[in-house]
Amino acid sequence: MRDSPLIEDLVKDLKPVRPRSAKADALIVGGLGLVELALFLGLGMARPDMPAAMAQPSFWWKLGSLGVIAVLGAIAAIVSFDPAASPRRGLRWVAIAIGVCFVTGWVIDAERGGMSSLISRLDWRNGIQCALKMAALSLPPLIGLGLLMHRGAPTDAAGTALAVGITAAAWGAFVFVFACPYDDPLYLAVWYTVGCGVVTILARLLLPRLLRW
Amino acid sequence: MAVLSGYPFMGPMTCAFAPLPDFVRHRFIGRALVADSEWSAWMAAAQSGDSRAYHRLLVEVSSWLHRYFTRRLPPPMVEDTVQDTLLAIHEKRHTYDPARPFGPWLAAIARYKWIDRLRTLKSAQTEALTDELAITDHEEAVTSASALERLLQELKPAQSAVIRMVKLEGLSIEEASVRTGQSISLVKVNIHRGLARLAAKVRNRPDAG
Repeated sequence: MRDSPLIEDLVKDLKPVRPRSAKADALIVGGLGLVELALFLGLGMARPDMPAAMAQPSFWWKLGSLGVIAVLGAIAAIVSFDPAASPRRGLRWVAIAIGVCFVTGWVIDAERGGMSSLISRLDWRNGIQCALKMAALSLPPLIGLGLLMHRGAPTDAAGTALAVGITAAAWGAFVFVFACPYDDPLYLAVWYTVGCGVVTILARLLLPRLLRW
Repeated sequence: MAVLSGYPFMGPMTCAFAPLPDFVRHRFIGRALVADSEWSAWMAAAQSGDSRAYHRLLVEVSSWLHRYFTRRLPPPMVEDTVQDTLLAIHEKRHTYDPARPFGPWLAAIARYKWIDRLRTLKSAQTEALTDELAITDHEEAVTSASALERLLQELKPAQSAVIRMVKLEGLSIEEASVRTGQSISLVKVNIHRGLARLAAKVRNRPDAG
Protein backbone atom coordinates (compact mmCIF):
# COMPACT_ATOMS: atom_id res chain seq x y z
CA MET A 1 0.00 0.00 0.00
CA ARG A 2 1.42 3.37 -0.97
CA ASP A 3 0.92 6.62 0.82
CA SER A 4 2.24 9.95 -0.35
CA PRO A 5 2.12 13.67 0.45
CA LEU A 6 -0.18 14.08 -2.54
CA ILE A 7 -2.72 11.68 -1.04
CA GLU A 8 -2.54 13.55 2.26
CA ASP A 9 -3.14 16.84 0.44
CA LEU A 10 -6.06 15.44 -1.53
CA VAL A 11 -7.67 14.02 1.61
CA LYS A 12 -7.24 17.40 3.38
CA ASP A 13 -8.83 19.11 0.40
CA LEU A 14 -11.83 16.76 0.41
CA LYS A 15 -15.20 18.47 0.37
CA PRO A 16 -18.59 16.86 -0.11
CA VAL A 17 -19.72 16.85 -3.73
CA ARG A 18 -23.04 16.14 -5.33
CA PRO A 19 -22.69 13.27 -7.84
CA ARG A 20 -23.21 14.41 -11.39
CA SER A 21 -26.57 13.53 -12.89
CA ALA A 22 -27.16 13.11 -16.61
CA LYS A 23 -30.81 14.06 -16.10
CA ALA A 24 -29.81 17.37 -14.48
CA ASP A 25 -27.44 18.06 -17.39
CA ALA A 26 -30.23 17.29 -19.87
CA LEU A 27 -32.57 19.68 -18.05
CA ILE A 28 -29.95 22.44 -18.13
CA VAL A 29 -29.31 21.96 -21.86
CA GLY A 30 -33.02 21.72 -22.67
CA GLY A 31 -33.79 24.79 -20.55
CA LEU A 32 -31.00 26.79 -22.15
CA GLY A 33 -32.24 25.88 -25.62
CA LEU A 34 -35.83 26.82 -24.83
CA VAL A 35 -34.77 30.14 -23.26
CA GLU A 36 -32.79 30.99 -26.38
CA LEU A 37 -35.74 30.11 -28.61
CA ALA A 38 -38.17 32.11 -26.47
CA LEU A 39 -35.86 35.16 -26.50
CA PHE A 40 -35.39 34.86 -30.25
CA LEU A 41 -39.12 34.71 -30.93
CA GLY A 42 -39.91 37.26 -28.20
CA LEU A 43 -37.61 39.79 -29.86
CA GLY A 44 -39.73 39.55 -33.01
CA MET A 45 -37.13 37.74 -35.10
CA ALA A 46 -39.56 35.24 -36.63
CA ARG A 47 -40.19 35.47 -40.36
CA PRO A 48 -43.28 37.56 -41.21
CA ASP A 49 -44.81 34.93 -43.51
CA MET A 50 -44.84 32.21 -40.87
CA PRO A 51 -48.43 30.97 -41.54
CA ALA A 52 -47.63 30.52 -45.25
CA ALA A 53 -44.27 28.89 -44.45
CA MET A 54 -45.95 26.37 -42.18
CA ALA A 55 -47.89 25.10 -45.16
CA GLN A 56 -44.63 24.16 -46.91
CA PRO A 57 -43.27 20.62 -46.41
CA SER A 58 -39.71 21.98 -46.56
CA PHE A 59 -40.33 24.15 -43.47
CA TRP A 60 -41.26 21.09 -41.43
CA TRP A 61 -38.44 19.13 -43.02
CA LYS A 62 -35.78 21.60 -41.87
CA LEU A 63 -37.36 22.11 -38.46
CA GLY A 64 -37.83 18.38 -37.81
CA SER A 65 -34.43 17.39 -39.16
CA LEU A 66 -32.53 19.93 -37.07
CA GLY A 67 -34.58 19.14 -33.97
CA VAL A 68 -33.86 15.41 -34.26
CA ILE A 69 -30.14 16.00 -34.89
CA ALA A 70 -29.92 18.41 -31.93
CA VAL A 71 -31.68 15.98 -29.57
CA LEU A 72 -29.61 12.95 -30.67
CA GLY A 73 -26.40 15.00 -30.46
CA ALA A 74 -27.28 16.28 -27.00
CA ILE A 75 -27.94 12.73 -25.76
CA ALA A 76 -24.59 11.55 -27.16
CA ALA A 77 -22.76 14.51 -25.61
CA ILE A 78 -24.37 14.29 -22.16
CA VAL A 79 -23.88 10.53 -21.95
CA SER A 80 -20.20 10.94 -22.80
CA PHE A 81 -19.57 13.40 -19.95
CA ASP A 82 -19.35 10.21 -17.84
CA PRO A 83 -15.75 8.93 -18.12
CA ALA A 84 -16.87 5.31 -18.51
CA ALA A 85 -19.19 6.10 -21.45
CA SER A 86 -18.34 6.68 -25.11
CA PRO A 87 -20.09 9.11 -27.48
CA ARG A 88 -19.35 6.93 -30.52
CA ARG A 89 -22.63 4.99 -30.52
CA GLY A 90 -24.65 8.19 -30.22
CA LEU A 91 -22.62 9.78 -33.00
CA ARG A 92 -23.47 6.86 -35.28
CA TRP A 93 -27.16 7.60 -34.70
CA VAL A 94 -26.53 11.26 -35.47
CA ALA A 95 -24.79 10.28 -38.73
CA ILE A 96 -27.75 8.07 -39.67
CA ALA A 97 -30.19 10.91 -38.87
CA ILE A 98 -28.18 13.34 -41.04
CA GLY A 99 -28.24 10.83 -43.90
CA VAL A 100 -32.02 10.36 -43.58
CA CYS A 101 -32.51 14.15 -43.51
CA PHE A 102 -30.59 14.61 -46.75
CA VAL A 103 -32.51 11.81 -48.48
CA THR A 104 -35.92 13.17 -47.44
CA GLY A 105 -34.80 16.66 -48.51
CA TRP A 106 -33.86 15.29 -51.89
CA VAL A 107 -37.34 13.69 -52.20
CA ILE A 108 -39.03 16.99 -51.31
CA ASP A 109 -36.80 18.80 -53.79
CA ALA A 110 -37.61 16.31 -56.55
CA GLU A 111 -41.31 16.99 -56.05
CA ARG A 112 -40.83 20.70 -56.64
CA GLY A 113 -40.19 20.13 -60.35
CA GLY A 114 -38.66 22.63 -62.73
CA MET A 115 -34.91 22.90 -62.11
CA SER A 116 -34.03 26.56 -62.34
CA SER A 117 -30.38 27.46 -62.48
CA LEU A 118 -28.37 26.18 -59.53
CA ILE A 119 -26.53 29.44 -58.92
CA SER A 120 -29.70 31.49 -58.56
CA ARG A 121 -31.22 28.85 -56.29
CA LEU A 122 -28.16 28.84 -54.07
CA ASP A 123 -28.17 32.65 -53.69
CA TRP A 124 -24.72 32.68 -52.09
CA ARG A 125 -24.87 36.23 -50.66
CA ASN A 126 -27.86 35.44 -48.50
CA GLY A 127 -26.55 31.94 -47.93
CA ILE A 128 -23.41 33.24 -46.22
CA GLN A 129 -25.50 35.57 -44.06
CA CYS A 130 -27.72 32.66 -43.06
CA ALA A 131 -24.67 30.56 -42.16
CA LEU A 132 -23.23 33.37 -40.02
CA LYS A 133 -26.52 33.92 -38.16
CA MET A 134 -26.81 30.19 -37.52
CA ALA A 135 -23.27 30.16 -36.13
CA ALA A 136 -24.08 33.11 -33.83
CA LEU A 137 -27.20 31.33 -32.53
CA SER A 138 -25.07 28.24 -31.86
CA LEU A 139 -22.92 30.10 -29.35
CA PRO A 140 -25.23 29.90 -26.27
CA PRO A 141 -25.71 26.10 -26.50
CA LEU A 142 -22.02 25.69 -27.37
CA ILE A 143 -20.97 27.61 -24.25
CA GLY A 144 -23.53 25.79 -22.09
CA LEU A 145 -22.51 22.35 -23.30
CA GLY A 146 -18.84 23.34 -23.09
CA LEU A 147 -19.28 24.22 -19.41
CA LEU A 148 -21.03 20.90 -18.75
CA MET A 149 -18.26 19.10 -20.64
CA HIS A 150 -15.70 20.87 -18.45
CA ARG A 151 -17.61 19.80 -15.31
CA GLY A 152 -17.87 16.23 -16.57
CA ALA A 153 -15.00 13.87 -17.34
CA PRO A 154 -15.19 12.86 -21.00
CA THR A 155 -12.52 10.31 -21.83
CA ASP A 156 -13.10 10.48 -25.59
CA ALA A 157 -12.56 14.21 -25.91
CA ALA A 158 -12.68 14.20 -29.71
CA GLY A 159 -15.97 12.31 -29.86
CA THR A 160 -17.55 14.38 -27.11
CA ALA A 161 -16.42 17.63 -28.75
CA LEU A 162 -17.95 16.43 -32.01
CA ALA A 163 -21.26 15.63 -30.29
CA VAL A 164 -21.24 19.01 -28.53
CA GLY A 165 -20.48 20.81 -31.81
CA ILE A 166 -23.22 18.99 -33.71
CA THR A 167 -25.77 19.67 -30.97
CA ALA A 168 -24.92 23.37 -30.69
CA ALA A 169 -24.88 23.81 -34.47
CA ALA A 170 -28.16 21.97 -34.97
CA TRP A 171 -29.85 23.90 -32.19
CA GLY A 172 -28.59 27.23 -33.55
CA ALA A 173 -29.95 26.28 -36.96
CA PHE A 174 -33.23 25.05 -35.41
CA VAL A 175 -33.81 28.46 -33.82
CA PHE A 176 -32.82 30.19 -37.05
CA VAL A 177 -35.45 28.20 -38.97
CA PHE A 178 -38.11 30.48 -37.45
CA ALA A 179 -36.48 33.52 -39.09
CA CYS A 180 -35.10 32.05 -42.30
CA PRO A 181 -37.30 33.02 -45.28
CA TYR A 182 -35.84 30.33 -47.57
CA ASP A 183 -37.64 27.05 -48.18
CA ASP A 184 -35.75 25.70 -51.18
CA PRO A 185 -34.34 22.31 -50.06
CA LEU A 186 -31.21 22.78 -52.18
CA TYR A 187 -30.46 26.14 -50.54
CA LEU A 188 -31.16 24.70 -47.11
CA ALA A 189 -29.05 21.59 -47.66
CA VAL A 190 -26.06 23.64 -48.81
CA TRP A 191 -26.09 26.65 -46.49
CA TYR A 192 -27.33 24.91 -43.37
CA THR A 193 -24.59 22.32 -43.91
CA VAL A 194 -22.03 25.11 -44.23
CA GLY A 195 -23.26 26.92 -41.09
CA CYS A 196 -23.53 23.77 -39.00
CA GLY A 197 -20.29 22.37 -40.43
CA VAL A 198 -18.23 25.41 -39.44
CA VAL A 199 -19.51 25.34 -35.84
CA THR A 200 -19.01 21.57 -35.59
CA ILE A 201 -15.46 21.69 -36.95
CA LEU A 202 -14.50 24.59 -34.66
CA ALA A 203 -15.93 22.74 -31.64
CA ARG A 204 -14.12 19.55 -32.64
CA LEU A 205 -10.81 21.39 -32.98
CA LEU A 206 -10.99 23.77 -30.03
CA LEU A 207 -12.89 22.03 -27.22
CA PRO A 208 -10.45 19.12 -26.67
CA ARG A 209 -7.61 21.65 -26.32
CA LEU A 210 -9.51 24.09 -24.12
CA LEU A 211 -11.13 21.49 -21.86
CA ARG A 212 -8.26 19.04 -21.36
CA TRP A 213 -8.28 17.56 -17.86
CA MET B 1 -15.93 -14.09 -18.38
CA ALA B 2 -17.25 -11.49 -20.79
CA VAL B 3 -19.22 -9.87 -17.97
CA LEU B 4 -16.06 -9.40 -15.97
CA SER B 5 -13.97 -7.95 -18.74
CA GLY B 6 -15.07 -4.40 -17.93
CA TYR B 7 -13.34 -4.49 -14.55
CA PRO B 8 -9.89 -2.94 -14.59
CA PHE B 9 -8.27 -5.63 -12.53
CA MET B 10 -10.15 -8.36 -14.33
CA GLY B 11 -8.54 -7.90 -17.72
CA PRO B 12 -5.11 -9.32 -16.85
CA MET B 13 -6.58 -11.76 -14.34
CA THR B 14 -8.98 -13.38 -16.73
CA CYS B 15 -6.09 -14.01 -19.10
CA ALA B 16 -3.57 -14.99 -16.45
CA PHE B 17 -5.85 -17.36 -14.57
CA ALA B 18 -7.67 -18.85 -17.50
CA PRO B 19 -5.70 -22.14 -17.42
CA LEU B 20 -6.07 -22.50 -13.60
CA PRO B 21 -8.67 -24.74 -11.94
CA ASP B 22 -12.06 -23.11 -11.40
CA PHE B 23 -11.88 -22.95 -7.60
CA VAL B 24 -8.55 -21.06 -7.75
CA ARG B 25 -9.78 -18.70 -10.44
CA HIS B 26 -13.04 -17.96 -8.66
CA ARG B 27 -11.20 -17.18 -5.44
CA PHE B 28 -9.13 -14.49 -7.14
CA ILE B 29 -12.03 -13.10 -9.14
CA GLY B 30 -14.14 -13.05 -5.98
CA ARG B 31 -11.47 -10.98 -4.22
CA ALA B 32 -11.43 -8.51 -7.06
CA LEU B 33 -15.22 -8.16 -6.91
CA VAL B 34 -15.05 -7.56 -3.17
CA ALA B 35 -12.35 -4.92 -3.77
CA ASP B 36 -14.53 -3.21 -6.36
CA SER B 37 -17.54 -3.20 -4.06
CA GLU B 38 -15.41 -1.80 -1.21
CA TRP B 39 -13.97 0.87 -3.46
CA SER B 40 -17.46 1.79 -4.66
CA ALA B 41 -18.62 2.18 -1.07
CA TRP B 42 -15.53 4.21 -0.11
CA MET B 43 -15.94 6.54 -3.08
CA ALA B 44 -19.61 7.05 -2.28
CA ALA B 45 -18.61 7.88 1.30
CA ALA B 46 -15.89 10.23 0.02
CA GLN B 47 -18.46 12.08 -2.07
CA SER B 48 -20.28 12.76 1.21
CA GLY B 49 -17.07 14.09 2.76
CA ASP B 50 -15.79 10.99 4.63
CA SER B 51 -12.04 11.63 4.63
CA ARG B 52 -11.09 8.28 6.23
CA ALA B 53 -12.82 6.32 3.49
CA TYR B 54 -11.25 8.61 0.92
CA HIS B 55 -7.78 8.07 2.34
CA ARG B 56 -8.17 4.27 2.24
CA LEU B 57 -9.48 4.47 -1.28
CA LEU B 58 -6.66 6.68 -2.58
CA VAL B 59 -3.98 4.49 -0.99
CA GLU B 60 -5.37 1.36 -2.63
CA VAL B 61 -6.06 3.06 -5.93
CA SER B 62 -2.53 4.48 -5.92
CA SER B 63 -1.11 0.96 -5.64
CA TRP B 64 -3.35 -0.26 -8.41
CA LEU B 65 -2.36 2.67 -10.63
CA HIS B 66 1.33 1.97 -10.09
CA ARG B 67 0.83 -1.59 -11.29
CA TYR B 68 -1.36 -0.41 -14.17
CA PHE B 69 1.10 2.17 -15.51
CA THR B 70 4.21 0.08 -14.82
CA ARG B 71 2.90 -2.41 -17.37
CA ARG B 72 2.17 0.31 -19.91
CA LEU B 73 4.70 3.13 -19.68
CA PRO B 74 8.46 3.55 -19.48
CA PRO B 75 9.49 3.62 -15.77
CA PRO B 76 10.41 7.35 -15.61
CA MET B 77 6.86 8.26 -16.56
CA VAL B 78 5.02 6.06 -14.08
CA GLU B 79 5.16 8.19 -10.92
CA ASP B 80 4.10 11.39 -12.71
CA THR B 81 1.24 9.63 -14.43
CA VAL B 82 0.02 8.07 -11.16
CA GLN B 83 -0.01 11.50 -9.49
CA ASP B 84 -1.70 13.08 -12.47
CA THR B 85 -4.39 10.37 -12.38
CA LEU B 86 -4.92 10.76 -8.63
CA LEU B 87 -5.44 14.49 -9.16
CA ALA B 88 -7.92 13.76 -11.96
CA ILE B 89 -9.81 11.30 -9.72
CA HIS B 90 -9.97 13.99 -7.04
CA GLU B 91 -11.16 16.73 -9.39
CA LYS B 92 -13.69 14.53 -11.17
CA ARG B 93 -14.96 12.54 -8.19
CA HIS B 94 -18.44 14.04 -8.63
CA THR B 95 -18.72 12.22 -11.99
CA TYR B 96 -18.73 8.82 -10.24
CA ASP B 97 -22.25 7.43 -9.96
CA PRO B 98 -22.51 5.51 -6.65
CA ALA B 99 -25.17 3.25 -8.18
CA ARG B 100 -22.57 1.78 -10.54
CA PRO B 101 -19.33 -0.17 -9.94
CA PHE B 102 -16.20 1.87 -9.28
CA GLY B 103 -13.88 -0.31 -11.40
CA PRO B 104 -14.96 0.75 -14.90
CA TRP B 105 -14.98 4.42 -13.81
CA LEU B 106 -11.42 4.17 -12.49
CA ALA B 107 -10.27 2.15 -15.51
CA ALA B 108 -11.69 4.74 -17.92
CA ILE B 109 -9.81 7.57 -16.18
CA ALA B 110 -6.58 5.55 -16.00
CA ARG B 111 -6.83 4.69 -19.68
CA TYR B 112 -7.53 8.34 -20.56
CA LYS B 113 -4.41 9.39 -18.67
CA TRP B 114 -2.41 6.63 -20.35
CA ILE B 115 -3.47 7.81 -23.82
CA ASP B 116 -2.79 11.40 -22.77
CA ARG B 117 0.71 10.42 -21.68
CA LEU B 118 1.34 8.59 -24.95
CA ARG B 119 0.30 11.73 -26.80
CA THR B 120 2.76 13.85 -24.85
CA LEU B 121 5.52 11.62 -26.21
CA LYS B 122 4.91 13.36 -29.53
CA SER B 123 5.93 16.74 -28.22
CA ALA B 124 8.41 15.56 -25.58
CA GLN B 125 11.95 16.75 -26.19
CA THR B 126 14.50 13.97 -26.11
CA GLU B 127 18.21 14.43 -25.61
CA ALA B 128 20.85 12.21 -27.09
CA LEU B 129 22.83 10.19 -24.55
CA THR B 130 26.59 10.15 -24.90
CA ASP B 131 28.45 6.87 -25.17
CA GLU B 132 30.51 7.81 -22.10
CA LEU B 133 27.66 7.20 -19.68
CA ALA B 134 28.63 4.11 -17.69
CA ILE B 135 25.18 2.60 -17.25
CA THR B 136 24.39 -1.00 -17.94
CA ASP B 137 21.78 -1.47 -20.60
CA HIS B 138 18.49 -2.46 -18.98
CA GLU B 139 16.33 -1.28 -21.83
CA GLU B 140 15.34 -4.75 -22.92
CA ALA B 141 14.18 -5.74 -19.45
CA VAL B 142 12.18 -2.55 -19.12
CA THR B 143 10.49 -2.60 -22.47
CA SER B 144 9.78 -6.31 -22.47
CA ALA B 145 7.85 -5.84 -19.25
CA SER B 146 5.86 -3.04 -20.74
CA ALA B 147 2.65 -3.24 -22.69
CA LEU B 148 4.05 -0.35 -24.69
CA GLU B 149 6.42 -2.79 -26.33
CA ARG B 150 3.54 -5.04 -27.34
CA LEU B 151 1.74 -2.06 -28.80
CA LEU B 152 4.84 -0.99 -30.70
CA GLN B 153 4.97 -4.40 -32.31
CA GLU B 154 1.57 -3.72 -33.83
CA LEU B 155 2.92 -0.71 -35.74
CA LYS B 156 4.76 -0.79 -39.03
CA PRO B 157 8.42 -1.74 -38.44
CA ALA B 158 9.65 1.60 -39.77
CA GLN B 159 7.42 3.46 -37.30
CA SER B 160 8.13 1.31 -34.24
CA ALA B 161 11.89 1.41 -34.89
CA VAL B 162 12.15 5.20 -34.88
CA ILE B 163 9.77 5.60 -31.93
CA ARG B 164 11.90 3.17 -29.93
CA MET B 165 15.12 4.95 -30.85
CA VAL B 166 14.03 8.57 -30.42
CA LYS B 167 11.36 8.39 -27.73
CA LEU B 168 12.53 5.51 -25.57
CA GLU B 169 16.29 5.26 -26.13
CA GLY B 170 16.86 9.02 -26.40
CA LEU B 171 18.64 9.10 -29.76
CA SER B 172 18.43 12.25 -31.85
CA ILE B 173 16.35 12.38 -35.03
CA GLU B 174 19.59 12.51 -37.03
CA GLU B 175 21.01 9.41 -35.34
CA ALA B 176 17.78 7.50 -35.90
CA SER B 177 17.91 8.59 -39.53
CA VAL B 178 21.45 7.21 -39.92
CA ARG B 179 20.63 3.97 -38.13
CA THR B 180 17.44 3.21 -40.02
CA GLY B 181 18.38 4.67 -43.39
CA GLN B 182 15.22 6.81 -43.35
CA SER B 183 15.49 10.49 -44.27
CA ILE B 184 15.19 12.98 -41.39
CA SER B 185 11.76 14.13 -42.52
CA LEU B 186 10.61 10.52 -42.88
CA VAL B 187 11.77 9.79 -39.32
CA LYS B 188 9.68 12.73 -38.08
CA VAL B 189 6.67 11.63 -40.11
CA ASN B 190 6.96 8.03 -38.90
CA ILE B 191 7.20 9.13 -35.27
CA HIS B 192 4.19 11.40 -35.64
CA ARG B 193 2.05 8.85 -37.47
CA GLY B 194 3.20 5.96 -35.30
CA LEU B 195 2.30 7.73 -32.06
CA ALA B 196 -1.05 8.80 -33.48
CA ARG B 197 -1.74 5.20 -34.49
CA LEU B 198 -0.61 3.99 -31.09
CA ALA B 199 -3.04 6.33 -29.32
CA ALA B 200 -5.84 5.29 -31.68
CA LYS B 201 -5.15 1.60 -31.04
CA VAL B 202 -5.30 2.12 -27.28
CA ARG B 203 -8.47 4.21 -27.53
CA ASN B 204 -10.26 1.69 -29.70
CA ARG B 205 -9.54 -1.32 -27.51
CA PRO B 206 -12.66 -2.49 -25.69
CA ASP B 207 -10.72 -3.14 -22.50
CA ALA B 208 -7.36 -1.68 -21.70
CA GLY B 209 -7.08 -3.49 -18.40
